[in-house]
Amino acid sequence: MTDGDGITTGGDGVRTGGDGAIAAAARRLAAETGVTRRRDLGSLAARDLERFALASGSALPPDGQAPPLYLSSVMGWSPGPPEAELRPDGSGTDETRGLPLEGLRLMGAGQDLEFHRPVRAGDHVVEHTTLTDVRHKAGRSGDLLVLRVRRVFADGSDRPLVTCDETFIAR
Amino acid sequence: MTVATDVVPGVALPPYRLRASTVRLFRFSAVTWNAHRIHYDAAYARSEGYPDVLVQSHLHGCVLLNAVLAWAGPDATLRAFGWRNRGIAVAGDELVVTGEVVAVRDAPGECVAKLRLEERDQRGELCAPGHATVAWPAGP
Repeated sequence: MTDGDGITTGGDGVRTGGDGAIAAAARRLAAETGVTRRRDLGSLAARDLERFALASGSALPPDGQAPPLYLSSVMGWSPGPPEAELRPDGSGTDETRGLPLEGLRLMGAGQDLEFHRPVRAGDHVVEHTTLTDVRHKAGRSGDLLVLRVRRVFADGSDRPLVTCDETFIAR
Repeated sequence: MTVATDVVPGVALPPYRLRASTVRLFRFSAVTWNAHRIHYDAAYARSEGYPDVLVQSHLHGCVLLNAVLAWAGPDATLRAFGWRNRGIAVAGDELVVTGEVVAVRDAPGECVAKLRLEERDQRGELCAPGHATVAWPAGP
């Protein structure tokens, strides 16, 4: 059967035991669920917005506006981490929304976004990140976790700019 | 250019195409600071069972949204958007987006449309379904 996220599952699709690394990650993540972290992303550089538009084949919006998916597509906002601190697959914790996913591989599976206000070059942006749901499932090629992460991007006065609910598959 | 009076249920978006070249994938990873090897290291991607480096989840989203914004025109405001990654695409694939207006609502001073979208590869395999909500100023 296939659930709403398109993950093929067996039986009722929910397990309480399963593969060790998955089960351990599920326990770590359960402790993170509902905790909101605030992070200052700094000011948006016009050149970064222009490069994002170029790479994604998008038209550059007028008036210095950011392409709508810019904020929710950037994986890392810090200068690091150094190469030696990356996981074997090349990812770093900054790029996996800060989640404790040691030993697992993470794949983006889609987003749902609401756009509240235009975002422009020079805007100071703050990100509020919350792990909202963790489900342990049996997939076609073994156990996996389906994670839902909400990020609210706000301006310097904490007015919401973009709300993004993202689904990740960890295996 | 699309204006509010053009937007009725059943209207189809013009098909939108984008080739996911290796250079495009590299540049998208670079500008999003995404060091995941699966997007630029073909040997690593094969070790995970894929035929070549993968198109990023977020680039699929961008391709779907490009189709919407190109059709909607400069007077439109994007209110909501979303997609699901259902099938992979790899370097060299041509991504094709189609879509249609599924509902239109007249609100005070504006017209709001809901769109249903699909992104497929050049073989017709579904990569990512999506949805969007777009508003235009109501006509005089």
